[in-house]
Amino acid sequence: MSNIENINKLAEEALSSVDSIKRATAKPFLLTRIHARMNKETVSLWEKAGWYISRPVVAFAGLCLILLINAAVIVSKNSSTQTTNVEQTTQASSDEFSYTVATIYDVYNNQP
Amino acid sequence: MNQPDLIAQLQQGDEQAFTKLVEEWQDMVYNTALGIVQNEEDADDITQEVFIQVYQSISSFKGISKFSTWLYRITVSKALDHEKKKKRKKRFGFVQSLFNNQDEEILLPAVFDHPGVELEKKEKARELFNVLKNIPDKQRIAFTLHKLEGKSHQEVAEIMNTTLFAVESLISRAKANLKKELIKYYGTLKDTI
Repeated sequence: MSNIENINKLAEEALSSVDSIKRATAKPFLLTRIHARMNKETVSLWEKAGWYISRPVVAFAGLCLILLINAAVIVSKNSSTQTTNVEQTTQASSDEFSYTVATIYDVYNNQP
Repeated sequence: MNQPDLIAQLQQGDEQAFTKLVEEWQDMVYNTALGIVQNEEDADDITQEVFIQVYQSISSFKGISKFSTWLYRITVSKALDHEKKKKRKKRFGFVQSLFNNQDEEILLPAVFDHPGVELEKKEKARELFNVLKNIPDKQRIAFTLHKLEGKSHQEVAEIMNTTLFAVESLISRAKANLKKELIKYYGTLKDTI
């Protein structure tokens, strides 16, 4: 018998090996285990929530949301800092060059 | 007690009816799950999950299809979900192992022996189950229900919610693909000897 024929025969034998298969039987005390599991599952709702949050899609979406919020806060902070800087510079230069008009009261009441 | 009465009692939350249901159908659920996941512990887990789901959602069973068909559908869907979860865990474990410096135990692919196979055919069946993992899910389900559960093509069509023609085609393609995979396997085996 040639090699190819032999391989074909082996494949056919493997395919027909489950022809007279018997049904596998469940392990004993299945009902007890089902009841125990049902009781456990009613308690572990938090576990289910944890499992849901830890799913890659949910975790990744959460991470993206956090990063987006961070970026938004940084951008809004930068723009408000710039406004404050402009105000501070204006105040400083007005103090330096005394833009305000001195009144007669200021001239005669110089503080030490 | 006949089946409609049993279901009616179960819908009313009767514990004894649930016990009878488990006793009557446990082997069928376990054997189907075992054929798909090829692991006894996993099949046991799935069997438990199936009966819990049946208990929780029996009110939604309207009797349009046969109860056994409904049960088979739940079992197949749970078994496939279980497989997906396991694959995801494996992938995550692989990524973890890339960042882990400690030497860890290398897990070899498990060899599966179906307890219902005759002793003299065990080795050949082991090889068949090994290549069964490589064919598409639909073909695998149709083949498993037909060969392992002894369901007729018509019954498989009802369980898979498809036509008789589609099931015949699925089973025929499953056999062809399995033969191809087996020839590939025996071919490499000859090369190594």
